[in-house]
Amino acid sequence: MNIGKSLTLLIVAAALTYPLVPQSSDYIIHVMTLAMVYMILAMGLNIVPGFCGLLDLGYVGFYGIGAYTAGLLTIHYDMSFWVIVPLAALNGALWGALLGAPTLRLTGDYFAIVTFGFSELVVLFLTNEIWLTRGPLGLPGIQPITVNLTWLNEAWYFQFYDKTPNFYVVALLVGLVFFIMRRMEDSRLGRAWYAIREDPLAAASCGVNILNYKVIAFAISAAIGAVGGCFYARWSMFLSPDMFKFWESFLVLCMVVLGGLGNIKGALIGAVILVCLGEVLREVLTSFGLPPETRFMAYGLIMVLIMRFKPAGFFPAIASSGRSNPLLLDLQKRLTARNAPKEEPRDAAA
Amino acid sequence: MLEQQLINGLTLGLIYALIAVGYTMVYGVIQLINFAHGEIYMLGAFFCVTFITAAGLPFYAAILMAILCCMLCGILLDIIAYRPLRKAPRLAALITAIGMSIFLQNVALIIWGSRSRPFPQSALPPFFREKALVIGDVSLTWLQLFIFAVAIIMMIGLYLTINKTRIGTAMRALAQNKTAASLMGINVNYVISFTFALGSAMGAVAGILVSVYYNTLYPTMGYTAGVKAFAAAVLGGIGSVPGAMVGGVVLGVAEALGAGYVSSLYRDGVAYAVMIAVIIFRPSGILGRSVVDKA
Repeated sequence: MNIGKSLTLLIVAAALTYPLVPQSSDYIIHVMTLAMVYMILAMGLNIVPGFCGLLDLGYVGFYGIGAYTAGLLTIHYDMSFWVIVPLAALNGALWGALLGAPTLRLTGDYFAIVTFGFSELVVLFLTNEIWLTRGPLGLPGIQPITVNLTWLNEAWYFQFYDKTPNFYVVALLVGLVFFIMRRMEDSRLGRAWYAIREDPLAAASCGVNILNYKVIAFAISAAIGAVGGCFYARWSMFLSPDMFKFWESFLVLCMVVLGGLGNIKGALIGAVILVCLGEVLREVLTSFGLPPETRFMAYGLIMVLIMRFKPAGFFPAIASSGRSNPLLLDLQKRLTARNAPKEEPRDAAA
Repeated sequence: MLEQQLINGLTLGLIYALIAVGYTMVYGVIQLINFAHGEIYMLGAFFCVTFITAAGLPFYAAILMAILCCMLCGILLDIIAYRPLRKAPRLAALITAIGMSIFLQNVALIIWGSRSRPFPQSALPPFFREKALVIGDVSLTWLQLFIFAVAIIMMIGLYLTINKTRIGTAMRALAQNKTAASLMGINVNYVISFTFALGSAMGAVAGILVSVYYNTLYPTMGYTAGVKAFAAAVLGGIGSVPGAMVGGVVLGVAEALGAGYVSSLYRDGVAYAVMIAVIIFRPSGILGRSVVDKA
């Protein structure tokens, strides 16, 4: 085990035990929980632009779908969180597949714009379908997550019960999503996605059904976004359509790009950096008496600067070099060379 | 009722067309969705009002000054944000555009505050609110006629610039093939700056017209208008200037009819729904030719 790995484990272990320290600060636990929500979202979004090379600007739509699914199921049916998570994930995946199946044939900017339109439609739906979502008034009174801890002794129980069940629940979800992502990355599925990203033509000629794999990627990504939303609903106990505007999509995209597209650990680090940066900027700017808008301004500027000087992020994925893999390129060249002259001899004979 | 909706839709549509032209020209030349174009539109309105209230300029002079400022902003936007990324992956340029959009929007929020403000009525020519034509229930104000006239004159001017002048020819050459154009002695960066300036001028005029028409302006107004204009550009076929004009008018009318006959709550939704449907069923748009993706 090398130094980097042991250091990472140490930091993770320290973060996980922190809430159990009696003097722990609620604020820091809150920020850590928030960072973990964004970790889930960043890992989920990473699948589409990172692994498949398609820009998804509507990720917040699935986050919102998951959150409202969880909120409504909790309020109306009083379901357990662990029943709601798979249901919300399924609902997210369903919408992901519905949107993805007809639109994933599109490439580049067109796909980005369709996803953007979709997320705007989700916000409009949440705002206008008042009978279901209470519209702009928002959805209050969502029950928080309860964890049965009667086996703990009393002193620990109160310490734990007051502020930390949410923290450990989301930590568990992050671990689960991370595990799933790692397994997918090394599987047939992940390799197919990489092939599509590096060169769709070569991938197709190797027998990869591009559209199917893209739809699967989009649905899984949507499901993970919905899981993030599901936790967020139960944690914040209040939802409103304003929480799911385009800005959130952009923030999550920033995290993924900052960390390095296509790199799972990069997505995690990106989430931590931007959540912490947001908090630090808030502290610094309010202490100087500057309006909160300067924070968003700074975010926009930081994003522009990163793109300018580190277009592949701080921890770029190994295969992602911004150009095609030479092996695949060669294969593509040979295939086109083989296919091109087919028409000619027939013409010459005729 | 129907005729009135059509006239309102046409007014709105012509304004969308003005903004859409800016998107489509930039996309045609450098294949970039300039997300910050909506912010230029917003800046146009704010510059104009600021020149009227703070500098005391008359209405038409303020419009002219606002146009010049926006052209400068457009050129600076290209030089500072997009030019270093000409050879970078498409994703990087697109994210930069979104970053600039958020940056500019929040700069405007800091300078002018988040409250919406009315357009200074005293500066407007007094005949704007009067009715020019009344036929039965249908009425047409002088302001609407003014918007029609300005939009159509600008469109014709743009058409002539693109098709009849040397710089227009250079723009079309660049849209076809940048390398070949530069080999023919075209100064690529100069032409791209010109394209941004031209698009920004059209956007600024649209911003001013909208803020006069609705008598309100606010720093986040660029967002929705930008998206709708982009939808219009896609609808007409992105990269095609006449397409953007047709797309804008079609979208404006569709929106007015949708708001009037289906549900006014989903007014903005009409644009998104139309855009998604068009991209799925006819990705090259009404007047567009199919483009090969160079990503």
